[in-house]
Amino acid sequence: MLDDKKPLVQVQDLKMHFPIYRGILKRQVGAVKAVDGISFDVFEGETLGLVGESGCGKSTVGRCVLRLYEVTGGSIDIDGTDIATLSGAGLRAKRPEMQMIFQDPQASLNPRMTVGSIISEPLDEHMKMSKTEKRERVGELMDAVGLARRFADRYPHEFSGGQRQRIGIARALALNPKFIVCDEPIAALDVSIQAQVVNLLEDLQEKFGLTYLFISHDLSMVRHLATRVAVMYLGRLVELGDSETLYLTPKHPYTQALLSAVPHPDPAQAGNVERIILEGDVPSPANPPPGCTFSTRCPKAQAICKQDSPEWREIGEGHFAACHFIE
Amino acid sequence: MLNYTLRRLMFTIPTLLLISFIIFLILDLAPNDPTGNLPLTIPPEVREKIRQSLGLDAPMYIRYLLWSQQFFINEPLNLLNQWFGWCIGDCEGRLRVSSWATRSPVVDLIAERMPQTLWVVGMSYVVGILIAVPIGVISAYKQYSWFDQIGTFIAMIGFSVPTFFTGVLLIVIFSVWVPNDSFFWLPSIYDTTLEVVDWDSFMLQVRQMIMPVMVLGLFNAAQISRFMRASMLDNLSQDYVRTARAKGLKEKTVLLVHVLRNSMIPVVTVIALGIPQIFGGAIITEQIFKVNGLGQLLIIGIQGADIPLVQTLTFLFAVLIVLFNLIADVLYGLLDPRIRYE
Amino acid sequence: MKLKHLIAGMLGAAMLSTTAMAQEERGRDGNVNVIYWQAASILNPYLSGGTKDIDASSMVIEPLARYDENGNMVPVLAAEIPTAGNGGVSEDLTSITWKLKEGVTWSDGTAFTAADVVFTAEYCMNPDGGCQQLSKFGDVESVEAVDDLTVKITFSVPKPFPYGPFVGSTTPVIQAAQFAECTGEAAPTCTEQNFGPIGTGPFVVTEFRANDAISLEANSNFREAGKPAFATLTFKGGGDAASAARSVLETGEFDYAWNLQIAPEILADMEAKGIGTVVSGFGPLVERLMVNQTDPDPALGDGRSTVANPHPFLSDLNVRKALSLAIDRPLLVEIGYGKAGNVTCNVLPSPAIYNSPNNAGCEVQDIAGANALLDEAGWVRGADGVREKDGVRLSILYQTSTNAVRQDFQALIKQWWAEIGVETELKNIDAAVFFGGDQSSPDTFQKFFADIEMYANTFDGTDPEAYMGNWACSEIPSPDNAWLGGNMPRFCDPAYDALLAEMAGTADINERARLAIAMNDMLMQNYIMIPLVHRGNVSARANTLEGVKLNVWDSQLWNVADWSRAN
Ligand SMILES: Nc1ncnc2c1ncn2[C@@H]1O[C@H](COP(=O)(O)OP(=O)(O)O)[C@@H](O)[C@H]1O
Ligand code: SF4
Ligand SMILES: [Mg+2]
Repeated sequence: MLDDKKPLVQVQDLKMHFPIYRGILKRQVGAVKAVDGISFDVFEGETLGLVGESGCGKSTVGRCVLRLYEVTGGSIDIDGTDIATLSGAGLRAKRPEMQMIFQDPQASLNPRMTVGSIISEPLDEHMKMSKTEKRERVGELMDAVGLARRFADRYPHEFSGGQRQRIGIARALALNPKFIVCDEPIAALDVSIQAQVVNLLEDLQEKFGLTYLFISHDLSMVRHLATRVAVMYLGRLVELGDSETLYLTPKHPYTQALLSAVPHPDPAQAGNVERIILEGDVPSPANPPPGCTFSTRCPKAQAICKQDSPEWREIGEGHFAACHFIE
Repeated sequence: MLNYTLRRLMFTIPTLLLISFIIFLILDLAPNDPTGNLPLTIPPEVREKIRQSLGLDAPMYIRYLLWSQQFFINEPLNLLNQWFGWCIGDCEGRLRVSSWATRSPVVDLIAERMPQTLWVVGMSYVVGILIAVPIGVISAYKQYSWFDQIGTFIAMIGFSVPTFFTGVLLIVIFSVWVPNDSFFWLPSIYDTTLEVVDWDSFMLQVRQMIMPVMVLGLFNAAQISRFMRASMLDNLSQDYVRTARAKGLKEKTVLLVHVLRNSMIPVVTVIALGIPQIFGGAIITEQIFKVNGLGQLLIIGIQGADIPLVQTLTFLFAVLIVLFNLIADVLYGLLDPRIRYE
Repeated sequence: MKLKHLIAGMLGAAMLSTTAMAQEERGRDGNVNVIYWQAASILNPYLSGGTKDIDASSMVIEPLARYDENGNMVPVLAAEIPTAGNGGVSEDLTSITWKLKEGVTWSDGTAFTAADVVFTAEYCMNPDGGCQQLSKFGDVESVEAVDDLTVKITFSVPKPFPYGPFVGSTTPVIQAAQFAECTGEAAPTCTEQNFGPIGTGPFVVTEFRANDAISLEANSNFREAGKPAFATLTFKGGGDAASAARSVLETGEFDYAWNLQIAPEILADMEAKGIGTVVSGFGPLVERLMVNQTDPDPALGDGRSTVANPHPFLSDLNVRKALSLAIDRPLLVEIGYGKAGNVTCNVLPSPAIYNSPNNAGCEVQDIAGANALLDEAGWVRGADGVREKDGVRLSILYQTSTNAVRQDFQALIKQWWAEIGVETELKNIDAAVFFGGDQSSPDTFQKFFADIEMYANTFDGTDPEAYMGNWACSEIPSPDNAWLGGNMPRFCDPAYDALLAEMAGTADINERARLAIAMNDMLMQNYIMIPLVHRGNVSARANTLEGVKLNVWDSQLWNVADWSRAN
């Protein structure tokens, strides 16, 4: 079933290292390896979930994929163009195709711009539209996300969190993108609002044929939304697979630990899963452990794990993982 | 916002009255004698008579009330008379706040000095801002680059090297080393009597402003550029900047329209809060280049125990400080839609 | 033949001088820039005692006579100096009659008359005017205009030196017409008059910026043809002495800088640039130690520093003398004043005729002598090296005003005194407080709540009578006279007062000199005051400025009419 889909986004060996400066002269003394060699595809029309503990590099992946950072290495192929090395006008021309919805809707909207101008600004930049056309387009977008058109002249701070996220979604949609990175779009919202926004995202996906990279630390939400799921730990992917397969038969010790902590949707089966508690803290990405990055906490770790980095390999159809001890 | 402003203004009045009284009290308690700087050849009896003629034998509260009447009633009436020709009460014999040293009305002295202070100190502030904003922006945008490092270094020097050092250094270079007839020679003494009437006198004015303006301008730039940089850094890491980039805006637009405008909000208020300092003059720089503006007036007043002059000047500074605090708050409200005063 | 030659020569000379006259036009030399690092606040010396104000006004308003650079009196608005010899001073010394120059006009073209002189006297003597030169009119009973060109000043007591009023720049004549409405309490309110007096002097004010700058231009009605040579004069104020010196000696922006009290070696460096010259002159200014004859012990309450309580150890002449012997005066001069100072052993070193020859030798420091003196007098060193006798320790509180040079002097002197077993505690007080007459402050130089205090004093003009009068018994400050009076050491000797009284009745200049020297010697040999440095005035002029004669007896700008630009 996956074969007939073609990848819209192909990420190969993506690396993002942030330099660390110290001393009065602010010399570079090291780097935070926020993302350290990641490869995955996102197929057209699907939702790829990206999960992992906070700080593991999910947002960085999202931002890299949209080239909001100068990436340290690797390639990012979107709709046939490698954007990892693009810059300037070339990159800007590519921007309309890919957009982002942020975790904190308040922070992601310029506080000094009205909703109307926030939504229409990309139109000014990328499309030749008359004033009325633009106003009409802004209206349409506001309709699409369920905001009253009369709010166009208000400032972001005058809205509730959910409404602000709708504004963020409307502006992401303005240029008819194909691919949207949703970076924890509901994490900052009230639980009562979360479902509405998720439903909106689903509706829009259907309506406009969108492709999502959906970043979240909420595993049950991802299970509900995503076609496939990728699990991340300390700047690397540890497992990636079809949503159902991954949730039912997690292979990687880290995925297993993560899932064991999630209340099961089916309480009848809940008893089968033994809760795995991880010991210790997540190591610093500035100084990751040698070998398998999970080895400091992995319940199944062996001597080899501390020396050799496990290979990222296909362990089943469309099912990838990085662990020495998975057949 | 209007209500808020009015309400704040209303509170300002009693505050300022209190401040004026406190200043008076402090000046009165300070051991000062206006005849202290007179030559020793003036005998003590004559000194005593001089003190009496200055009204120093009256009790403190009488002197305060007298000053208040002169400052809060007579001076405004006099202004009305001078500006509009309206004569209310006794226009000729009205007692104004007068300096003990010059025996002339303090307000006139201040008015006489306003132009050079505004030209030199004000211009240095403008120059400071014009230098500081781009430096702050670039330093933040290219954080830790060589530009940023040099900027930080220069700002550190700007803060820490006192203006009397930079001032004298510039004088030694441009007035002493550079020969008089060279194009690069600059006057070390500001001519306050120069009137700008044509191109030549304008150029003279520019030349004599260069050194004091630069000395003060660099000092101001050092401070403001740090604020600018910090504020830019705050904003650069915000999501809305990513949003702007994701929109596919040109980097220039992202920086100038989104980041800079938001970063300017706190900087503008800092700038507004700094404006009273302009009127306070830059005491040291004015002394070095003999600009003889308000700062020098204050210093001379303090040295000569010229209480009415010191009292009036200090109080006016207090008024400006209170006023510009209010202006800064109102500006903040106007610039940042998130702020609402009720 | 010879006569013919002579006549031809005279004609030729006359012709030459007329051509010379034709060249020597008023205002021919353009502008001259003068800098006083203390800016002028007002141009009316009667309302300001500040030297800067007096000097600035001296270019505009003039007295009847002034002192030249040698301290000699020269007529200005007077036709001649009245003396007993020419009948100008009455036999009984109670009146002086001044004859005014004919044809003098004010800068507004009106005639200058005796009425202006009379008005000026009334202006200053008005009790409500707060006149700062009132002491110059001391004992004046009346000032009358005998006729348009004759003024008679009558004194209530015989005045052997009747040249107080209208001699020197401190008491110039102001125009009656201009100041008519400005007498008494109205005096300070006349801003326009005080900032721009109409005068008879070489310059008139075109713009006065208080505490900043004055623009002046040549007075077209000035009585001397061809003067001043400069058409305009800028009198700039502000900054400090070093930058004023720099502006003349290094940058060349200014032509004359006043009162350059800066480190001697810095001044020499600046002068080395070769565009200006440092000029110095010595008046009667002497930096000295005042030795308190009374006990400043706080325990005495109201009796503190009053004659009722003699000083526990400074009343011993041997102690006072030892303190003086221990001082190395040449070193003090070198450190503090360089070219602007000389060693002096007199408190009255100048003018020359008053300088006593009887006290020489103080320039040699004599620690051993001082120690011997104290040993002999029974002051023995205690365990801590401080001498004492009968339970009295030689422990001195030594105060002065806050000033870098004075603090250097204090430190050095403390050191020397330590070597002779005298313990010293130093104190410095802000000048405004120290010299200010604030009754509530314990730190004034008049209250003298210390054992030794140091400052400089001088007098105006050339006559020392009033100055020597400072040390009369009646001049001792005390709570009874609100601490007024100039006798800080609280010295009281009937013999001294007798000399003063004798001087007051003596007109002959040589006799007066003898008496002044006798008084000086009395003060010196009793070590009531210990002179340290004879201080001079240092100014600088551009090498292109001609005619400058540094005058310590009068305004430094006294002969600005004669200044000109070298070609
Ligand atoms: N701009 C940056 N500079 C330096 N370190 C960064 C930067 N952005 C993120 N990091 C670091 O990279 C790691 C991953 O961060 P992030 O991608 O935000 O994690 P997540 O979104 O999974 O919580 C964290 O350790 C974070 O501190
Ligand atoms: S490689 Fe080793 S340490 Fe890493 S997940 Fe597998 S078992 Fe655990
Ligand atoms: Mg994140």
